[in-house]
Amino acid sequence: MQRPRPNRLHDELDALLDGRPVELTDELAPLAEAADSLRAELATYQLAPGVADRHMERVLEGSGRVVQLPVRRPAGGWEVRRRVVAVALAAALVLAPATIASAAALPGQAMYPFKLAIEQLRIASVQWSSTREAGERTRVADARLSELKRLVDLQMFNQIGPAVTALADAYRAAKDAVDDAKQDGAAGAEVAELNGKLASVQNQAIRTVVMVSSSIQAAKLPSGSTRNAIEAAVQDAQTVLPPPAPPADATPTPTTANSPATSPPTDPSTSPTNTAPAPPPSTAPPPTSAPTTEPPTTAPTTTAPPPTSEPTTPGSAGQVGDSGGLAGADERTPAEAKDVPPTTSPPAP
Amino acid sequence: MLGFGGEREAVSKVGLSAADLAAARLREPAAVTRIYTAYAPALFRFFMASVGDRHLAEDLTGNTFVSAIEGLPRFRGPVEALGGWLFQIARHDLYDHRRKQSRTRIEPLDENLAEATRSDATVDPEELAIDRLEGSRVLGAMRELSPDQREVLLLRMAGGMTAPEVASVLGKTTGAVKALQHRGLASLARVLGLRSPDETPQRPYPSTDPDRLTSQEDEEG
Repeated sequence: MQRPRPNRLHDELDALLDGRPVELTDELAPLAEAADSLRAELATYQLAPGVADRHMERVLEGSGRVVQLPVRRPAGGWEVRRRVVAVALAAALVLAPATIASAAALPGQAMYPFKLAIEQLRIASVQWSSTREAGERTRVADARLSELKRLVDLQMFNQIGPAVTALADAYRAAKDAVDDAKQDGAAGAEVAELNGKLASVQNQAIRTVVMVSSSIQAAKLPSGSTRNAIEAAVQDAQTVLPPPAPPADATPTPTTANSPATSPPTDPSTSPTNTAPAPPPSTAPPPTSAPTTEPPTTAPTTTAPPPTSEPTTPGSAGQVGDSGGLAGADERTPAEAKDVPPTTSPPAP
Repeated sequence: MLGFGGEREAVSKVGLSAADLAAARLREPAAVTRIYTAYAPALFRFFMASVGDRHLAEDLTGNTFVSAIEGLPRFRGPVEALGGWLFQIARHDLYDHRRKQSRTRIEPLDENLAEATRSDATVDPEELAIDRLEGSRVLGAMRELSPDQREVLLLRMAGGMTAPEVASVLGKTTGAVKALQHRGLASLARVLGLRSPDETPQRPYPSTDPDRLTSQEDEEG
């Protein structure tokens, strides 16, 4: 009989040890018997139950040293700062040129939507702090005011109505934000600064709206949709930015075509360049809770300085255009305008 | 030994799943107990047959298991490879124990014991362990095997590992492991008095007896 090759015998023995079916040849039989003897001998060695308990105790509670899983540590410290800097740098590279280009954009221009988007981003980025949000919203209101002045200067009549509405909305949002900051317990100095800025914006906004209201009466604007839109916008805006109360001894007199508007009240502390802070809100802001266009019958309070304090130099009235109003509106001195109610003056005959 | 390939969740031959492995990494008692129940008896048999002392084998089993659970977060293989990894630790612990044992025997405590110490140091600790198993005829026969053959047979029989798994643990080829287990079992069979296929059937020397020669020729013819 031919004996199997060694490799074949190795394979058959291996299969036999694995329990696979193999023909038990004469060569494999003694090997299988030896393997069985060894297995039987090894099977007699059994761990005592007490030993197993002792081992488990060591592993779970005893001398087993706790090993922390090699988990990835969350990014922190310098890693987070590095990422923030990278994102900020990328954003700056993308946004900075567009921000600069859109800073002077006016309503109706191509870059103006981008300007508004950047403002929203800025507001969103500071909403974690009510104080900072109030400051940012105040700045936005000031931007709307500047835009309105520029539109008046440039005689972009079709944009003035929406600009007046936008100014009123921005002022309302800024005022609400300042109130929220106060309720959130902002520091006294911060509240005073916010109040000052807001009062400055408010005073100039009132003057500007009053000026627009008066100017459109004498402006050579066709009585069409543009004029109606401006008038409607002014009327709505004056619910938020009410015109100042006339002096107690003021007597409404009809105005002429050459006296288009009442000079708005001026905050004595407000410089013509709009940079000086307004006085504290207890004295500076005019009342905003009286949304009416009716001229008050009472004497003006201290919150509305008399128009006589208005500078007499042209163009100093809140920088509302060096021309002092819309096209066709004559320049007036504050003395001429002080007795004219802001919005109730009848049109010139 | 340890697993079946397939699309379902891998479950080792001893009934452990990948979920058990993940839970044992977190030291969840139930999972650790399942792993201990699956492998501790085999580890103990391996150590017992290697050192021949029950208490020592128990300690080595416990140490190996503690080391394994502590090192489990570093184990990257599938659950099917857990057995091989455990026996690699067991081999390392066994060799470490033997090194310490040899070192301890070499250090003389007394000049009067120097000679005895030298004589003891010449004795292989592994052979000493087998000497302790005087009551076991089979393990006594293991003494006749080479260290490689003994190790292969113990991993195969005590550990319940396949030839490829043993080859992975020992760093040998599967063919080499199969050859070692074949020669080891053949030697064991011979020592135990079992007929071994390696023992070439001895043909009787040709007899000078003409009748015998004739009879042989007749038989062959």
